[in-house]
Amino acid sequence: MSIQRITPAMVKSSILDELSSSLNSLERTSDELSSGKTILEPSDNPYGASRVIDLQSQLSGLSSYESNAQDAIGWENTASSAMSSINTAVQRVRELILQAANGTSNQSDLETIAQQVEQLTESIKQDANTQYAGQYIFAGTDTTTPPYEEGANDEYQGNAETISRAVGPAASVTISTNISALLGNGEASGDGKLLDTLRTLANNLRGGTAEDREALTAVDLKSLEGNIETLTQLQATSGSAIDQLQAALSRNEDLQTSISESLSSVDDTNVAAATIAYSNEQAAYNAALRAGATIVQESLLNFLEK
Amino acid sequence: MSIPTLQGLQTALSGLIAEQTALDTTGSNIANANTEGYSRETVNLQPNPPLDILALSTLTGQGAQLGTGVGVSTITRIRNSYLDSQYRTQNSALSSASTQAEVLAQAQAAFNEPTEASIAGQLSKFWSAWNSLASSPTSEAAKVGVVAAGEQLARTFNELSSQLSTIATQAGEQVKALTGAGGEVENIASQIAQLNGQIKLSEQAGETPNSMLDSRDLLLDKLSSLANITVSEQEDHTDTVSFGDTGTPLVEGTTVNWPQELTEAAGGQLGALLSLTGPQGALTSLQTGLDGVAEALAETVNAPLAKPFFTGASAATLTVAVKASEVQASSTEAVGGNSVAQAIAGLRGGVAEQDYATLVEQLGSFVQDAQDEQSNLQTTVTAINDQRQSVSGVSLDEEMTNLISFQRGYQASARTLTVMSELLETLIEHTGAAGL
Repeated sequence: MSIQRITPAMVKSSILDELSSSLNSLERTSDELSSGKTILEPSDNPYGASRVIDLQSQLSGLSSYESNAQDAIGWENTASSAMSSINTAVQRVRELILQAANGTSNQSDLETIAQQVEQLTESIKQDANTQYAGQYIFAGTDTTTPPYEEGANDEYQGNAETISRAVGPAASVTISTNISALLGNGEASGDGKLLDTLRTLANNLRGGTAEDREALTAVDLKSLEGNIETLTQLQATSGSAIDQLQAALSRNEDLQTSISESLSSVDDTNVAAATIAYSNEQAAYNAALRAGATIVQESLLNFLEK
Repeated sequence: MSIPTLQGLQTALSGLIAEQTALDTTGSNIANANTEGYSRETVNLQPNPPLDILALSTLTGQGAQLGTGVGVSTITRIRNSYLDSQYRTQNSALSSASTQAEVLAQAQAAFNEPTEASIAGQLSKFWSAWNSLASSPTSEAAKVGVVAAGEQLARTFNELSSQLSTIATQAGEQVKALTGAGGEVENIASQIAQLNGQIKLSEQAGETPNSMLDSRDLLLDKLSSLANITVSEQEDHTDTVSFGDTGTPLVEGTTVNWPQELTEAAGGQLGALLSLTGPQGALTSLQTGLDGVAEALAETVNAPLAKPFFTGASAATLTVAVKASEVQASSTEAVGGNSVAQAIAGLRGGVAEQDYATLVEQLGSFVQDAQDEQSNLQTTVTAINDQRQSVSGVSLDEEMTNLISFQRGYQASARTLTVMSELLETLIEHTGAAGL
């Protein structure tokens, strides 16, 4: 059915409809421009809204993994420098053994060396008690207890559990170092680990017998070298953990970039397009206003003579 | 038979009366140009019965008929009842879609997506809190952080659930207010019934009760936004009105049959409100979906824990059940372990979050569909209303033209009267003083 008669009421309501719809799209575009987002409510793009939730969750997860990895690197660096310090001490002990074994030292020299070995032992135990952010890093999961006590008790106080950090979805890196594999439980246990070796060495230095002197190179040096081997392995493990963490960090960074890009393509306003749309809509609104103002005033009444 | 002497005066008078009636009607149209529901009226004129001039009294010897002026036969309103019924059908559908869009937009606002304060934002903070605990399992601050984030998350679930219930309750109350005693349905129905009675009487008296017909049509328009209606006009000019999906007509003659039971199929605002809150309705399904997310969250978070972190298996009842000191970061006794905290932090992106994202997508689709439908129907209703206006609306240009034409007609009739009067004057004054 074609419309034949047009009444002022129809003109009025159609102009009002036009004005309100122009103003609506103008407001919408202005919201998109000012917020920088195209999805202001789920109904704007239902699938997009659920993608945004998913992507934002992934991003926030990645930033958690990033801070985990950075924290783990800090932990491993601390562990690594503590082990370097142990290594320095152990190398010094090795020199002392060679010095003691060269035959020119008298018993009082050996006593001095024994005292030095004991000091180094103490410093190694202190290194084993290194903390990172208030946690003892060499105590397994028993992170509030120092793994070794000061003084004569050489027994390991921590546990054998491992600590790991999540650095990606289903990817975690073990950051704890089992220091008891290196230091052991001391002379009483006879486990041949570093503390046992050092205590035995001190005893041999003080012993004064020919067997004791013999043992310096025949037994103590050998077992020390075995201990150095273990230390090197631990250091290598720690180094490779740092490598893994660095790799995870750089992968994380790439992922963050690509997910941010996806998020931006789903949710961000295309400013150029929106700006052009905005000025078009503004023009349309102006035109509707002008047309309304002109047409509504027109009527036969204006032209009838009095 | 000869022509009565004063016939000319009568004829001129009939013209004056007819033109005046037309002028009055035009005036009334102009006055009602902006009255809602007004149909323009038109005066139907009809020639008066002619005066027979008998055979043999004319030159040809044949009879003739002399016009005796004009009479007003009826004043009718211009209205197309087919368009009315079209309008009401579409108006019910529009009202249903608008109601759905409006209520669902409230639900959407309650969900508060996409913002930091939404459940998605809170979930993200919750996982991050567990992650911080995994990094420092011995930190009391991290444990407090986990509990605080958990409580905030649970509260967000509780609040959203209660907002959804409130929206559903309000919808139910709106239905009660509209359909209850003295509500809009009853009110409109009794006005229609009353008008039915008056219209019937008026028609019996041979009148055309235009303004009452307009009022009744306007009431029917209003009724159509509440639910689907069908109107059938009876022989006695009363309207029988079926409303929604009720068994008995709402209005029959002067009788109102209310209250009656309406269901989701009623259409219009009432049908929409009933179906939104019904067992298959959008609000119900959002609430169920939210409960599902809360349940999945509690289940997955509690799984690796010896003492449940969350209690309550619905969105309304989800609560954090542990104190900060009871938060476990590890499954072993050792304080520095983080296996449990790590497992829970790893739930990010898991089933609870996926279910929630799906729920938000569902919510968005509900609102979008309702809004699309609303805007489509709005276009249809506007088009039909324009057609109705085109038929029934008052055009001022047209009325002004009519005004001039009727004014001229009146002036001409008046001039005729003058001429007739002068003729009589000639007859009476200038034919001598006979009889005096």
